[in-house]
Amino acid sequence: MNNRFRFDCIGYGLFLGLILLVVPWALDFDGFELNTFARYLTLGMVAMALALSWGGAGILNLGQAATFGLGAYIMAMHLKLKASAHMPDGMPDFMGWTNVESLPWFWEPFHSLPVTILAGFLVPVLLAAVIGIFMFRGRITGVFVAIITLAFLVAIQLVFIEEQRYTGGFNGITGLAPLELFGWSVDNYSLSFYYFVSGCLIAALVLALGLVRSKVGLVLRAIKEDPARVRFFGYDVARYETLAFCASAAIAGWAGMLYVLVLQFASPTYMGVPFSLAIVIWCAVGGRESLVAAALGGIIVNMLEGRLSDLFVDGWTLFLGALFILVVLVMPRGLYGLFQNLLERVTEFYRQARAERRETLASAQSIVSEPTDKGGR
Amino acid sequence: MPAGPAARDSRPPGPYVGWISMDAFFNQAFAGLSMASILLMVALGLAIIYGAMGVINLAHGEFVMLGAYSAWLLQTYFGFSILVSLPVVFLMVALIGLAVERGVVRWLYHRPLDTILATWGIGIVLQQLVRMGVGTDSRYVARPTILDGNVVLGGVVMSNYRIFVVVFSIAVLAATWYLLTRTEYGTRLRAVIQNKEISECYGIRSERVYAMTFAYGAGLAGIAGALVTPLVSVTPTMGTYLVVDAFLVVILGGVGSLMGTAVAAGLVGEATALFSFLLNDTLGRVAVLCAIILLIRFMPQGLFPDRVRR
Repeated sequence: MNNRFRFDCIGYGLFLGLILLVVPWALDFDGFELNTFARYLTLGMVAMALALSWGGAGILNLGQAATFGLGAYIMAMHLKLKASAHMPDGMPDFMGWTNVESLPWFWEPFHSLPVTILAGFLVPVLLAAVIGIFMFRGRITGVFVAIITLAFLVAIQLVFIEEQRYTGGFNGITGLAPLELFGWSVDNYSLSFYYFVSGCLIAALVLALGLVRSKVGLVLRAIKEDPARVRFFGYDVARYETLAFCASAAIAGWAGMLYVLVLQFASPTYMGVPFSLAIVIWCAVGGRESLVAAALGGIIVNMLEGRLSDLFVDGWTLFLGALFILVVLVMPRGLYGLFQNLLERVTEFYRQARAERRETLASAQSIVSEPTDKGGR
Repeated sequence: MPAGPAARDSRPPGPYVGWISMDAFFNQAFAGLSMASILLMVALGLAIIYGAMGVINLAHGEFVMLGAYSAWLLQTYFGFSILVSLPVVFLMVALIGLAVERGVVRWLYHRPLDTILATWGIGIVLQQLVRMGVGTDSRYVARPTILDGNVVLGGVVMSNYRIFVVVFSIAVLAATWYLLTRTEYGTRLRAVIQNKEISECYGIRSERVYAMTFAYGAGLAGIAGALVTPLVSVTPTMGTYLVVDAFLVVILGGVGSLMGTAVAAGLVGEATALFSFLLNDTLGRVAVLCAIILLIRFMPQGLFPDRVRR
């Protein structure tokens, strides 16, 4: 365990160095490239959020995109209001097209940035809490969790597309103003913005790791292995599961808010089934058991997509599907499991080699010290 | 197909109960039945695969899509009518299903949750292959000319083709029931479902049974896809959302129960039509999804629980 912890720490260090130093340097501090990479970071963040509930507690949430999308829409609403300040009544343009007379009440609070940020966390958490209590109190597990979360995702996306007057429908919310944070007007094509996003990712990782490495995380891992046994020990399994579900939703909402800052629009495709299952793919490719690995999975797959889809426009999706089938078949624990096996094999090899050397050394010494003995043959 | 508010405002002639036009109501009920029959055929294949192997086949929607494209292919290049091409479509998609089972799914029988992921990957691949081979344009397939025309009962207009689809789906249900309960293959399958190891001791090759079952389920999806072609446009993504609905139907009906799947398909189809009539199409779907989620939450065994002891 200690050994493994040491490897994990080395992994964290490498990850930090990679996203804070190597990437900006490799991208030549170019604003456009950094913006693209900031996008990968936010997608890595939502993959990490999924790993928190899937790898951490065994809850396969196929509706992770719902909480991500909620965070995205909340941030987009704030920025849209800022961009529409000069419009009559400060109404967003798409509301004018659909004959909405006055700003709906649930848009009002988003004039204020603190409320927006708070809502960006709390609304996804609230949704997750409702769904979580609903499911886990009924001791729903496994496949049923997957199907129910998927059904919720479809329902939520349908509502967002249907209520075009309030959400922009299929087009989503576009034409956003830049965010102003403590008097700093965020330019999403700058180095400072990249560091802002990577700082958020690292903060989220630290918080999530704190949860995973705490006693709560231990109970959650136990629930993943055998919920009935944990229940016999007197733990309230549903409460722990809901907690993991909510923590995952909070991080997903956070990532959604950042995603809108990066791309400058919100679209209902963020809540689509294909996007939601793509999150699962990233998480599985990286390795669901480790948060950092899942985040890396999100970053790597999207980076490959960014590079390869330019080269092979059609072939890319085919490659993604095939890659995913391969990952599930050949390395069910993802890249993380692959590396762990490799490391274990290497350390085992060295340990054996060292033990052998010590043995031969010891026997050689015994021969030297007792030359008259019959031993040694 | 009249949708709720519009039908209310235009006030079609005919008898009324309150503000509800009876003609519009029954037309909507028939639309629901027609939707239910397609849902039934999609869900039936899914139910067999899930019931027998515990495999959640998210590529099922893509099997439907492949069936639709096969029908289009046979009509465009060989001039086959849909009725003629149905057996061919069944065989084609069943063969693809067999390949998928032999290539990927059979390695995952002991990891049911991972089948969700792997079959989604298969779905992506199949969808992209079609997109590259045929293109992304919508395709249309003509209705067989024998089934042109409508049956008019009072103010209710029922197209012959939709009636045919309803009857055909019931026939497929009956055939599947016969296959599972009255043939040797069905007996073997039920034995493997109950206890795989002991059936193997009796000389049943469970691997072969699984492969045949997967192929049969895929073939049913293919037929469903071929049958919807005159009703909807054929696109590479047509199956993606269908599989979610079909899965809810399977779980609602109760795993391993053919009757349950049939009743659940009928309920979901009619409920969608009813809610669409009262609210609108989208909110109707949302309401049905929420209702199904509630039902699954409180009756996780489904409407018709499987009473076989395992």
